[in-house]
Amino acid sequence: MAKTYQYCVAKNWGKGFIDHVESQKITFVGLPGNVWQVPAYNKHGNLWIAKVAGAVKTKTEAQAIVDAEVQAAQATWDALPDAEKAPAVENNKRPTDITLEE
Amino acid sequence: MATYLGTHGGKIQTYTSDPSNPNTGEVWYNSTANTIRVEAQTTAGAWATGGNINTGRFYIAGAGTQTSTLGAGGESPPGTVVASTEIYNGSAWTSVTSMSNARFFTGSAGESNTSALVFGRYDPASGITESWNGSSWTEVADLNTGRGRFGGTGTQTAALAAGGGPPNNGTTAAESWNNTCWTSVTSLNTARGYVNTGGTYTSALTVGGLSPPGTTLGVVESWNGSAWTEVADIATPAGIRSTFGQDKDNILAVGNGLTELWNGSAWTETTDLSTARGNVGAANSGPVASNIVFGGSPSPTLTEEWTGAGAPVVKTIDTD
Repeated sequence: MAKTYQYCVAKNWGKGFIDHVESQKITFVGLPGNVWQVPAYNKHGNLWIAKVAGAVKTKTEAQAIVDAEVQAAQATWDALPDAEKAPAVENNKRPTDITLEE
Repeated sequence: MATYLGTHGGKIQTYTSDPSNPNTGEVWYNSTANTIRVEAQTTAGAWATGGNINTGRFYIAGAGTQTSTLGAGGESPPGTVVASTEIYNGSAWTSVTSMSNARFFTGSAGESNTSALVFGRYDPASGITESWNGSSWTEVADLNTGRGRFGGTGTQTAALAAGGGPPNNGTTAAESWNNTCWTSVTSLNTARGYVNTGGTYTSALTVGGLSPPGTTLGVVESWNGSAWTEVADIATPAGIRSTFGQDKDNILAVGNGLTELWNGSAWTETTDLSTARGNVGAANSGPVASNIVFGGSPSPTLTEEWTGAGAPVVKTIDTD
């Protein structure tokens, strides 16, 4: 099955990392570990990866990077005192696992 | 054979850089980039990355516009409530004088990064209000009901505060600011905390909210300067949103990975943030077609800039 997405690692430097024209042409998904998901077999995605000097990763490699980041965040959350894990605190939910798509 | 000269009456100009203020539809050749470009209009809203904020945080108060933004206070992970203030000029954030009081999820209003108001605090509850003039903060009259976990809208001299808490499950209290004092006005119909507000102090929209422990509300109420009327719920209740737009019939609500646009009668889901996060700050003045969100959790240093449909944009004509 042809893949739908491609992945790369690139650090978001801020202004100009993704511009409005690029954002209108393709959908960007930023993930933990500076992993970015963009459409596969797509000229605009390829041009953007080249622009940001992204290190292209296979889905398996990208998943490993994301997993490591999420697991570290989960460990940090698990170590919090119970009082800081109150379910009403919107910003402090336990980080959830992320499964990348092909 | 038809030529550009024949159909449009003029040859396209050659520039070494893009012209600063082209007309819509104008075409030129950029000799530096070796490309043909056109001044077009966007067909759908889109997010672009902006400069990263210096002190990463969430629940940050925001005011101003996309090119003149104020961010103040907030919670800097892990768990530090800050007073620090930064201003944005459309490309970079600069740290400036901190507020007198560290606090997070306050209300805020203001038209630029030199004119803003930040009000309220949740824990301990306080109505403390500070006014920003571009170089310093001045403490002014407190809210009548000390509280936080709300948004706020308006300007430095004419602001609106609605909802928030304590109590933990939210309040209906609403107040307006006239540059001298806060006055209690007609209460919301539905008590809620974590509520955000867009529009002006006489014409506003309160969006969503939470009623702890963890009940997400999609309720939306419209303010006409004297009364609140419930209107259509947001399409996907998803907890805390930030809202922006000065026209209450044209409001964007952003947060928790979702973006919805209000047209005066219904909500429509539109382009989401590139990096999903909640508890973002937003500049709550300026048009909905050109605005900004910053901070948030996770990824508390990021900024994203919104350009709505119909905005001018330079596009390269692809000849490949």
